[in-house]
Amino acid sequence: MAAPCGRMASRSVIQFFCTFSRPKSRNVGFRQFGISSACRVTLKTKSVSETASPSPYGLAAAVYLQRLPVISADCSPIEQSFKDMMHQIELEKSLLSDHELRLIEDAERLKRKQADDYDSDEEDSHMDQDIVLTQDLEDSWEQKFRSFQPAPRVRDDVDKDMSSVQRCLADSLVLVSEQTVGDQKLWLLPQMQWQEGETLRQTAERALASLPVGLKATFLGNAPCGVYTYKLPKPLRTESSLGTKVFFFKAILSDSGPSAPPNSALLWLKKSELQGYLKPAYLMKVERFILDL
Amino acid sequence: MSLAFSRCICRVLPQHIVHRHYPVYIMSKFSFRAEPKKKKKVDPKREQMMRERLKKKLKKLEKVPPELIPIEDFITPTKCLDEERTRPISAISFEESERRALLLKEWSRYKQKQHMAEMKAVESALESQREALEELKITSEELYQAALKPDFTLLPFTHEGPAYTPPKSKYEAPDGKYTDTTRVYTQ
Repeated sequence: MAAPCGRMASRSVIQFFCTFSRPKSRNVGFRQFGISSACRVTLKTKSVSETASPSPYGLAAAVYLQRLPVISADCSPIEQSFKDMMHQIELEKSLLSDHELRLIEDAERLKRKQADDYDSDEEDSHMDQDIVLTQDLEDSWEQKFRSFQPAPRVRDDVDKDMSSVQRCLADSLVLVSEQTVGDQKLWLLPQMQWQEGETLRQTAERALASLPVGLKATFLGNAPCGVYTYKLPKPLRTESSLGTKVFFFKAILSDSGPSAPPNSALLWLKKSELQGYLKPAYLMKVERFILDL
Repeated sequence: MSLAFSRCICRVLPQHIVHRHYPVYIMSKFSFRAEPKKKKKVDPKREQMMRERLKKKLKKLEKVPPELIPIEDFITPTKCLDEERTRPISAISFEESERRALLLKEWSRYKQKQHMAEMKAVESALESQREALEELKITSEELYQAALKPDFTLLPFTHEGPAYTPPKSKYEAPDGKYTDTTRVYTQ
């Protein structure tokens, strides 16, 4: 019992050292993995058939960077009609405000002025004959409002540019980057291999820092929000590396910094657009924690 | 004692000397110049007790419960009770009231769907996190424990919510001056 176990252990240790000495560029689809404490524990496994010692999966951490909406979303038709109706009902149930009372007074005064039997002395000692009419006040306010130009809510040209952070300000966007995995170029949430001696969240922070654009984000907690196990295709599988487990960490963008160079493989996508870029299996796992509320 | 002594001296000494009656000063315990203390020792204490009792009674009488701060939201200002301010009610046609009722029903259906969708999304996110933590536990106990630790650097977390229009770059807001008319009450 002990002998075969020992042999297996020595073989895996040799393989481990081999993978470390092999330079990364010659990796054809392998993932280098770091030995973890679990591996040391699982080296003591008794059964020979178990291939779970050390853990055959490589570890990686990815960051789910979210840009929250900057402007309020447009109302859907039912929301708009409900909004109008509520406004109407509130108006009906309300009392007249000071401004409205003044309007009514002014209208009455005008009517009296225009009537034939108008006696200006009858008006009770109005020193405010020269006061601005309420209508004039309203007009001046209207003018002031028109003179202020707010920034446009929707800019079509920016919306179409997938790599700009300023697109689709009413939705929350996810950062997706193109990375080389094995021999393929895939669109993924930015990820980084785990190194010994750091927590997975630090790996995720490293992944964020490695992007060409200076992005500042707040990570929400130490716990991962999702996991994706990537199994290598059968011919490439060995006893020691079946694939990788990618843990996702959620972060909220706080500062986007200077705009990215146009050729950097970074995209900001809405949840509905993710389908066109991510692989189906990956998308299935990732969709669960991307909230599009 | 002095008297007895002087009597002795009279008998002993010849008479012509003793006639003078020298005042004999003999040290004695009692000083005859001080006022006699008529007050008893208990009296000042008794007076003090009386004073304290009176003070306590006074305090009890003067104790008024602190005035409650009025909640301004609950007091209808008299301006609103003015009869002149009632809006002339325009009658709502039957079609309008029907439309409103139907719209309200539509709205409740829409909101219910929205709520269910939200709940479902949150549940799926939680499920995903739970699975991730399970996987992590299987993979590495150390990393799992590190993931479970609370993050103290996160709170207090602030984020500017969405406004109606996006922020204008290089916008100089006009200086506004306002007088704060909130009434401050002290108890």
